[in-house]
Amino acid sequence: MSDPGSAQSRRGFLGWFLGTSVGAMCASILYPVARYISPPDVPEAQTSRVVAGRVGDLKPNEGKIFRFGSLPGLLIKTEDGGYRAVSATCTHLNCTVQYRSDLKQIWCACHNGFYDLTGKNVSGPPPRPLDEFKVNVADDEIVVSKT
Amino acid sequence: MTSPAPGIGARLFAWLEERTGLSVLSDLARKKRVPRHRHTIWYYLGGMTLFLFGIQVGTGILLLLYYRPSASEAFESVQFIMTRVPFGWLIRSIHSWSANLLVLTAFVHMFSVFFLKAYRKPRELTWLSGALLLFLMLGFGFSGYLLPWNELAFFATQVGTQVAGAVPVVGPFTLRLLRGGDLVTGGTLTRFYGFHVAVLPALATLLVGAHLILVQKHGMSVPPGVGKGGDSHDESVPSMPFLPNFLLRDLIGWVAALGILAALAALFPWELGTKADPFAPAPAGIRPEWYFAWMFQTLKLLPSHILGLEGEMLGVLGFGAGGLLLLLVPFLDGGRGGTSGRDRLIVACGWAVVAFMAAMTILVYLPAGK
Amino acid sequence: MSVDATRSIRRAGSGRRLILASLVSLLTVAPARAAEPPREAPAGPRPMETSCVSCHSQMDDVLLEPTKHMQDDIHFLKGLSCHDCHGGNPAAGGDGDPEAAHDRKMGWTGKPSRTQIPAFCAKCHADAAFMKRFNPHTRIDQYSEYRTSVHGKKNAEGDERTAVCVDCHGVHGIRAVSDPRSSVYPTKVAETCSACHADEKRMGHYFLPTTQHEEYRKSVHAHALYDEGDTSAPTCNDCHGSHGAVPPGVGNVANVCGSCHTREATMFRETEAKLKLDLAACIQCMVCHSNHAVLPPDDRMVGVGDASTCTGCHAEEDKGYKAAAQMADGIGALVKRLGEANERLDRAERAGVEVGPDRFDLQKGRDKLVEARVLVHSFDLEKFLAAAKEGLETADAGVAAGDRAEAELRTRRLGLWFSLLVIVAVLIGLALKVRQIERTSGT
Repeated sequence: MSDPGSAQSRRGFLGWFLGTSVGAMCASILYPVARYISPPDVPEAQTSRVVAGRVGDLKPNEGKIFRFGSLPGLLIKTEDGGYRAVSATCTHLNCTVQYRSDLKQIWCACHNGFYDLTGKNVSGPPPRPLDEFKVNVADDEIVVSKT
Repeated sequence: MTSPAPGIGARLFAWLEERTGLSVLSDLARKKRVPRHRHTIWYYLGGMTLFLFGIQVGTGILLLLYYRPSASEAFESVQFIMTRVPFGWLIRSIHSWSANLLVLTAFVHMFSVFFLKAYRKPRELTWLSGALLLFLMLGFGFSGYLLPWNELAFFATQVGTQVAGAVPVVGPFTLRLLRGGDLVTGGTLTRFYGFHVAVLPALATLLVGAHLILVQKHGMSVPPGVGKGGDSHDESVPSMPFLPNFLLRDLIGWVAALGILAALAALFPWELGTKADPFAPAPAGIRPEWYFAWMFQTLKLLPSHILGLEGEMLGVLGFGAGGLLLLLVPFLDGGRGGTSGRDRLIVACGWAVVAFMAAMTILVYLPAGK
Repeated sequence: MSVDATRSIRRAGSGRRLILASLVSLLTVAPARAAEPPREAPAGPRPMETSCVSCHSQMDDVLLEPTKHMQDDIHFLKGLSCHDCHGGNPAAGGDGDPEAAHDRKMGWTGKPSRTQIPAFCAKCHADAAFMKRFNPHTRIDQYSEYRTSVHGKKNAEGDERTAVCVDCHGVHGIRAVSDPRSSVYPTKVAETCSACHADEKRMGHYFLPTTQHEEYRKSVHAHALYDEGDTSAPTCNDCHGSHGAVPPGVGNVANVCGSCHTREATMFRETEAKLKLDLAACIQCMVCHSNHAVLPPDDRMVGVGDASTCTGCHAEEDKGYKAAAQMADGIGALVKRLGEANERLDRAERAGVEVGPDRFDLQKGRDKLVEARVLVHSFDLEKFLAAAKEGLETADAGVAAGDRAEAELRTRRLGLWFSLLVIVAVLIGLALKVRQIERTSGT
């Protein structure tokens, strides 16, 4: 065997090597776990409630599309300042509806379907009403949740 | 050589020792030796199973932080973990893959102990606790599989609980107990969650504790055919110290397993599937996880009636009898580790069971259509 | 006639007798048209208590029919009874004297003939003042509409075979149109019309086809009405009219279809104005979509392929042919690209990458696809291509998002290789340590 000196240095090197690599391994385990535990950007799955906007985003008699999960929703601020929210997927052939401030109704451009502000289909091809959502204003945020 | 003045570490140890007396454990560990022979490799499987179980507990606890056990939220919460939680995909995939590896190592560990006859006196209780632990692991697998509430899991659970219901006398009660009612519903999900994170872990803790204590008490068994043969406490067989040799080797296996799990999770992420719809018809080709597949295939092959009795019921009773025999192995064995007729029969039965399980499993996965 | 009246006529002289007789006959024995129904609210015995019902309910066969379904009849339920339509005396004759009940002086008309029926019903149903008492917003133009229809015209000519009110509405158990059991409820209309119109013997007299009902049942409209339960979906009367039923060849088919499909109809009219064509003469909805068997439109209907409807008129060298080809290509490309985008996003999602926002953005592409398909009816290549282009842009963005998701997966793999490197290092370190320990301890 080689002399005790180099054996010592080899042992030292091995100790260092093992220690460093084990440390690196521990870090590469602890890092994902730490990131996992710290709260993600949204606290829970956005299937039952989302923040659709902030107070001030909409003027009275105006509507805007917001994202609810992967589907569109329509948020409307009525003339008296109240909010209404419905699903924006037309029940006819799934086009995205829009708010018509001139008619104060919800309109689907694809085949001229009309809904009233509660989502009820009032004219044209749509066979079913739009799903209505609940709207709450918390501080500055407009929170839309499924009924 | 003279040791330097007691450093802070030694002082801490002394403080603890005065109060807990835990040095008896470290003495035990220092004294423990592991026999070295051609079958030593099988000694690592117990520790590997323990390590994988530890991984399950760790990743399981992490999943608990985000999972929701209700029919309307379970699937979405797993999807949330997979897509919105940083490294959630990693934790979840590791949990799923490790579950499968755990069941595999548990079975191999059990078979290796069986063929190496490590269950002989005085290790009967170790075997018993181990066999029960194997059943618990299968229970973990079955209950955990339903938790993502996807289509495959829903129908697999329906089929699985249906089979449990085929047992005479206690069957219908068992079925209702498992399902939380007559059908698989959100109630079943919550119940399975309770089993998976509380009931089974509590039982497993007790059994693992007992199993480990017994293993330490009796030391490692030496298989027949090695050393002087016969007695498992043969000191003529060369051995290595548990600390640090065997432990380091154990660690090599564990770190390698960790690497394999990471690779599986990143390269073959565990799929989520589609959300369960109790009113949709069952899709074609429903089958349980691979570790139940052999039972499933056996039941499928049994004729619907044998001697006037329901085939399925007989099959289930057969599995029950098999489980009972498994528990009783140490008591059926001659105990001498010799090559008597009974010993050879037991070994032959063991190989027959292995071959049967393998064949049934392969049959399930053969492409359909003849 | 009453016994007293007969006696008084006999007492008069023969000349006066004649005049008296004529006067009396003019006043009492008259065709249904001239007899007046009671104008006040129905007075006298309640519907169930009329002598009509008490006699006829004890008769057989044809004479029993009128009372068999009275409790379902809307007239009955509104308080009207036999005499309100047929005249006669509901208070008399209950003891078995038909003459007393069938009192011509009180307007008894008996059973009107088939040619008389429309006017018979119109006695009330065309009388605004009368009908408003029962239903303030009811229509009263059914009779005049009927007279414009083929059924009405033939009836006026004396054709006994053609449809009259009772053929569709029933005769004595007439339910309200809004009653789902009524023969003219939306889900029953097609059946009612085809009772005659699918009957080859009947239609043979008029040389009319009988396949309409069969074809209609294959259509999207029938599917919407019968399978989806959407009673706003069109059935025979929604296109042909209920009472003023006109045959195919109505002035402008696009107007009929356009009463619901407004966008397409508007586009037609704009094309007419732009090209100064009388499209009523050439292209109408039915040429491509058929009139009764309106099937779900297929993208292959546009273009120049085998299943195309454009090539029926457009020859290879004309502008329309080229435009059709371009439109078909446009739709095909958009469908394909959207499919690619969806597939990438699906794959990414299965592997655990979040794609919700990207799916949301892709919805716009789907909207544009629907719009492009509608714009086919404008026959305006520019407008179509604009919509298709926007759709393609969205689809491309979707594909890019899918690629980004795949990149995320690759990043994970990179992370994997790094951690595997570390693990391998640890393994090597451990192995070397074991070797070292065992070498020095001499094991």
